[in-house]
Amino acid sequence: MAVRHLNVEVRLEPGVAVLDLMGEINGFAEEALNAAYAEAEAKETNTILLNFEGVDYINSTGIALIVGLLARARASHRRLLACNLSEHYVEIFNITRLSDFMSVFPDEESAVVEASVS
Amino acid sequence: MTEQTPQDETREEEKQRREPRDAAYWAHYAETLKVTGVAEGATNINVEGRRAVGPLQGFGKLWQKTYRVSLEDAEVTPVEVIKTWKENYKDFWPEGNLFYAPLAGITPGEVALISGSLPGGVKLSTGVMVLYADDESFSLMTPEGHPFSGWITFSSFEEEGATVAQAQVLMRANDPLYELGLRMGGHKMEDEMWRKTLENLAAHFGVHEPVETNLLCVDPRLQWSHYRNIWHNAGIRSALYSITAPLRWRRNRVRQD
Repeated sequence: MAVRHLNVEVRLEPGVAVLDLMGEINGFAEEALNAAYAEAEAKETNTILLNFEGVDYINSTGIALIVGLLARARASHRRLLACNLSEHYVEIFNITRLSDFMSVFPDEESAVVEASVS
Repeated sequence: MTEQTPQDETREEEKQRREPRDAAYWAHYAETLKVTGVAEGATNINVEGRRAVGPLQGFGKLWQKTYRVSLEDAEVTPVEVIKTWKENYKDFWPEGNLFYAPLAGITPGEVALISGSLPGGVKLSTGVMVLYADDESFSLMTPEGHPFSGWITFSSFEEEGATVAQAQVLMRANDPLYELGLRMGGHKMEDEMWRKTLENLAAHFGVHEPVETNLLCVDPRLQWSHYRNIWHNAGIRSALYSITAPLRWRRNRVRQD
């Protein structure tokens, strides 16, 4: 099985640090994801947004990595949001019950608006 | 054999574009768990109708526990390891715990029943749902009432030229009573169980290497808002079920008469 590694770009929007995720979220993504999250934390925003638009594969190890990010966000009293999940990944967030703890937005604009009003 | 037209190819490409590559590996969403067929000896009192819960829904500290063994001396690929693990899952469990595999095997969405024991010798009837399964890994998710709320991911991969087998548990104790139990010997029992499981798997391939254990507390805080999970506690319910067995027997006798 050919593995496409995860690339993450971090950028700052008003009040939100956005992580643009591109590729596969699996066990190999741990280093890239944690490094990008640390970079986002350094931007000192109250909200970090995971943009899943470029994600085309998530396995159960990848979902566990996202749980790890949620724990880090909770520890530092930050909100972790998600946007641009395909219908399939929305279902996975529901099955794994990540969506109980993480607000999911259809697009980046609505997530940024939510972050700015709360 | 008919030749594919450009339209067929476009339709196929469109289908592949719409359906992610991981779609077949995940269970479908269901509000509650449904057990299809209860094996002889299994008890389905704490699984049917319960919701599956992940590490975020539990009460206790969030732990990531990793157990791994190198299969360096065995000529075996990660795909072969996982195939063997799925097919013989129950045989690798240590004695005293019974895993009633689903009829369809370890496939996404299937539910298995478990009979085990808690610290203090309390018998426990619970289960797991197969959350994810591909050729190189599979994950099980626990139901409400299980001692812990979380996922167990079994995987195999190449590392420095050797095939490695790994079990990784991401969990919180489901309620305050279980959290106490885990602190009073439960963690040790659980660690021993997975170590033994990996030893048994390695022995199947003729390997007798030590199992490495890595325990990481991801979130030390308790989630007090989830203390009510104790309502579903499978240990308490299993004990009550055992205590009331004579009453059920008498009731059945009366009905037969």
